[in-house]
Amino acid sequence: MKRTAFSVLLLGLGTAAQAQQPGQPAATVIAVPPLTSPTGGSRGNEMLAVGWQVTQQIETDLRQTAEVMPLKPNRDDYYSYPEVTAPNFSKWRGAGAKALVTGFVQSRSDGRLTVGCYVYDLDKGRELARKGFVIGPNDWRRAAHKCSGLAYTAITGAPGMFDTMVAYVAESGVGDGRSRRVAIMDSDGYNHRYLTPGDAMVLTPRLGPKAARVAYVSFAGGKPSVHLLDLESKQDRPLLPGDAMTFAPRFSPDGARIAFSMMIGANSDIYVANSGGGPPQRLTTAPGVDTDPSFSPDGSKIIFESDRGGSQQLYVMNADGTGQRRISFGGGWYASPNWSPDGEWIVFTRRGQDGRRIGILKPDGTGERILTNGPGDEGPSWAASGREILFQRIGPTGRSALARIALDGSAPRPMTIPQDGSDPDWSGVMD
Amino acid sequence: MRKAILLAALLTLDAAAQAQLPGLRRRAPVPAQPVLQGIDALRAEFAAQSGGTTVYFGAENVGLSVPARTILTAQAAWLRRHPEVVARIEGYGDAGDTRDHALAVGARRAEEARSYLVLLGVPAAQLSATSWGKERPGLGRAVTVLVR
Repeated sequence: MKRTAFSVLLLGLGTAAQAQQPGQPAATVIAVPPLTSPTGGSRGNEMLAVGWQVTQQIETDLRQTAEVMPLKPNRDDYYSYPEVTAPNFSKWRGAGAKALVTGFVQSRSDGRLTVGCYVYDLDKGRELARKGFVIGPNDWRRAAHKCSGLAYTAITGAPGMFDTMVAYVAESGVGDGRSRRVAIMDSDGYNHRYLTPGDAMVLTPRLGPKAARVAYVSFAGGKPSVHLLDLESKQDRPLLPGDAMTFAPRFSPDGARIAFSMMIGANSDIYVANSGGGPPQRLTTAPGVDTDPSFSPDGSKIIFESDRGGSQQLYVMNADGTGQRRISFGGGWYASPNWSPDGEWIVFTRRGQDGRRIGILKPDGTGERILTNGPGDEGPSWAASGREILFQRIGPTGRSALARIALDGSAPRPMTIPQDGSDPDWSGVMD
Repeated sequence: MRKAILLAALLTLDAAAQAQLPGLRRRAPVPAQPVLQGIDALRAEFAAQSGGTTVYFGAENVGLSVPARTILTAQAAWLRRHPEVVARIEGYGDAGDTRDHALAVGARRAEEARSYLVLLGVPAAQLSATSWGKERPGLGRAVTVLVR
């Protein structure tokens, strides 16, 4: 939080720098002149074309955020290569911008491309950040996401969430014949693909670090059970042998462990198991339903929900199961908690007479704030930035969609998917 | 036509006579008399004699009501008479609940019904329990006992 305030001050956020949209709080305006290229000849023109694609993608990325407002890039704002490191500060200040992101694309002898990104504070006339990377000739979209992340982080102090992935349950058909498949895509909607065939019901896909693996619940064996799917090898296996009912999986931040619920008789408790295999360790013993565990970003604590006190409430415990204590006392039922990547907040679903709504509170139980109006919202998942939340919203027609909301109080916006969807999970940054 | 009549005549022959005509038996796979009823017939009989396959729970509730116990008692009697039939009890959570809590509540309801049937003398090996949570519409708060 302190870091945020500092960054905003650094950029000299004044009223002129803020673009006011209806229902939206102030955002930092950033200029996005086209990326240039030091490469000459026809190859140079190709690089300029790639640079223009990257530029447009940066604008698209930043426009999705509540905190940063990109100026529309203009192809005629041609930058010579030396200008990348010496931008015309007064020109862009005059255009109303407070920050600027630009860079270059250079072809390499091995066919790959070098992309460089630079972020400037226009008021101070100084560089805020720079980053360079080598990419495959067709990976310009990912390069753009990295540039967007660099600018977003320089301005807000929070990690960018552009180079991330989203897993969710894709739903089609009606009634008992409704088909559900685990789907995954880049967070901007590209590279959408299905990971399970749709012959068995699936729930709650949860991505591991760098989205290398996904843990999800499959009904393929007749009972819900946690499965682990490796995205590269496509290998899919149950987390535990046997036919116990297991559900609500979540990876530890390092990916080494998975916390989940296991049903023994009429009792659901939280267990943790090595994600590579091995026997589970029991963490809770209370009668009733303990479920939806989520690790703190340092892996030392787990937030979960329990109805041990008569109604569903949020509890925190150490990752070994000790020190369990209730933190939610606001009335209604609290469910499906998820710990923010910066450790500052817990997002949850609160259920009451007015339906299901998404809210946040601090890990010590203070500072509760309800963010959405419901009535059919649930399953919140943090963006890597810790500034936005992705959740499932059942609309008035009963159809299920994905929506995202920023912590700043702006209205929720849809996340576009090819069909109905539920149980979203937003990955951390990919590098 | 004539062939069919001949076949029908052969089918009425007793087992000893059929054993002497192995070639013809292969051409007539229809058993002389039904050994087992189909699963659908069993299900219909089970539902009719138990007063229903489904018991209902109150919202947020996993306890068995009096009508639920009545149905389960009849189900138990039928299951004890049919020890060869295996039953799966499928619990359903409440539609307004959150996903994983509904899954656990459905499992608790299934387990309530299962343990009541066991209490009434149905062998535990004859029964299994699972949950659909809130994933199947129209059947919230109910535990259905299917026979397989």
